[in-house]
Amino acid sequence: MSATILVPDDLWDGDGEGSVSNWFYRDGETVQQGDTVAEVMSEKVTFELTAPVTGRLAIAVPLHGTVHKGDRIGEVG
Amino acid sequence: MSTAESLPAEAAAGRRLTIAKAMSEAIAQEMERDPAVLVMGEDIGRLGGVFGTTTGLLDRFGPERVRDTPISETAFIGAAVGLAAAGMRPVVELMFVDFFGVCMDAIYNLAAKQAYFSGGQVACPLVLMTSVGGGYGDAGQHSQCLYATFGHLPGLKVVTPSNAYDAKGMMTAAIRDPNPVIFMFHKALQGMGWLGTVPGSIAAVPREAYTVDLGRAAVVREGRDVTLVGLGATTHHGLDAAAELEGEGISAEVIDLRSIAPLDRETVIASVAKTGRLVVADDDYRSCGVAAEVIASVCEDGRAKLAAPPRRVTFPDVPVPFSPALEHPLLPSAAKMAAAARALVGEREPA
Repeated sequence: MSATILVPDDLWDGDGEGSVSNWFYRDGETVQQGDTVAEVMSEKVTFELTAPVTGRLAIAVPLHGTVHKGDRIGEVG
Repeated sequence: MSTAESLPAEAAAGRRLTIAKAMSEAIAQEMERDPAVLVMGEDIGRLGGVFGTTTGLLDRFGPERVRDTPISETAFIGAAVGLAAAGMRPVVELMFVDFFGVCMDAIYNLAAKQAYFSGGQVACPLVLMTSVGGGYGDAGQHSQCLYATFGHLPGLKVVTPSNAYDAKGMMTAAIRDPNPVIFMFHKALQGMGWLGTVPGSIAAVPREAYTVDLGRAAVVREGRDVTLVGLGATTHHGLDAAAELEGEGISAEVIDLRSIAPLDRETVIASVAKTGRLVVADDDYRSCGVAAEVIASVCEDGRAKLAAPPRRVTFPDVPVPFSPALEHPLLPSAAKMAAAARALVGEREPA
C-alpha cells in the first residue's frame, strides 16, 4: 500500500514557502515507517518529515525544490 | 574501525543522519555517560548551535551543563582549558575557525602543552569544535579552513569528518580522549538547509555509542591508476572525480584523511605505492598546507615509486573573496581533481 509524504498544513505559521533541504534516501531506496526521510526548511527553521509506511521511496520534489504547506513531496509504497 | 563501513554509499540500511545530528547525538550520549562532560559556546544553548551541533542538549541537560556564552572566545575557551585541567570534559564551540586569533594562547600555549609541561600529571580533555570552509559567499572571515594552522602545532589532535558515521564516532572518541582535540566540521557537509548539503555526507548512523579511531585515514574507494586524497568536503570531490574518471578508463583510489594531526602517512604511502600517482586536494591555503605535507611525506619515505610528479589542488594564497563569481573558481572541485589525475596518467603515456 502506498502513502503520500505531505508537508503538514500547520507545519509553520503563515503562508510562506519552504524548500526541501535534505533527502536522506535516494529515489527508489527502501525506507522504514517512521524514518526521517526529508527535511523541509522555511524561514531558516528546519522540519523533519517521516515515512508514513515502509516501502520504496519515490521523490516528487527534488533537493532544494520549493514547497508550500499541504504539498506532496513524495510517495512511499 | 573498518574503513569501508564508514562509506555513505555502502550504508544501505539503517537510520540516516546529517553530520550536525550525528555530532549532537554523540555529545548527548557522552553527557549521559559522564557527568564531567559539559558544553559551552555562542548560541549553543537555546539555538542548538548555528550549525546544529548541540541540538536538544539544553532541554535535556539544563543550563548548568549547556551554557550559552558571551561573544568572547578569549573568556570561554580560556575557561574551558581551566575546567579541563580541573577534571571536567568541556566541549566548546568556536563558531567559525576564522576567529581563533583571540583564543589561540589558551589553545596552543596552554591546552596543547599541559600534559607535556606537567610531566603527564595534568591532562587536558578538551574538545574544541569549529566550523570550516567556504563556497557560500560569506567572505574572508567566515570561509577559511586553517587545517594547517592547527595541524602545525604539537600537542593537538586535529580531525575533520566527511560523513555522519565518522562524525559521531570521531566526536565520541574526541570527548573520551585525555588530550585536546580540534574537531573541525565543514559547513558544506553539515546538513543545514541554508548552506546546502553534499548528499554523500548523510550516512547510516548506529543509535548506540561507538568510536572511530582518531588519526586514521580511510580508503573510501579502491583503484589502481591514481590516488586522490581529500579531507572533509574534498573527499566528496575526490569521489565525484573518481566516478568521472572511471568512464574514461582511469581507475582512481580515493582516500579520506579524516585526521590532519596525527596524519596517517602510512595509508597514503601504501596507496601511492600501488598507483604511482598522487593528487591531493585541500580547500585550505596552498603554501605550507596539508596537501604539501602529504606530498612531502610520500616523497621523503621513498617506498612509493612515482610515475609522475604529485599535484596539489588547493585554494590559492589569497583571502577568500566575497563575490561568488570570484570565490567559486578558486575552490577545489571534482573537475580540477579529475583534470589533475588525467594529466598525471597522460605523463606516463604521452599521446
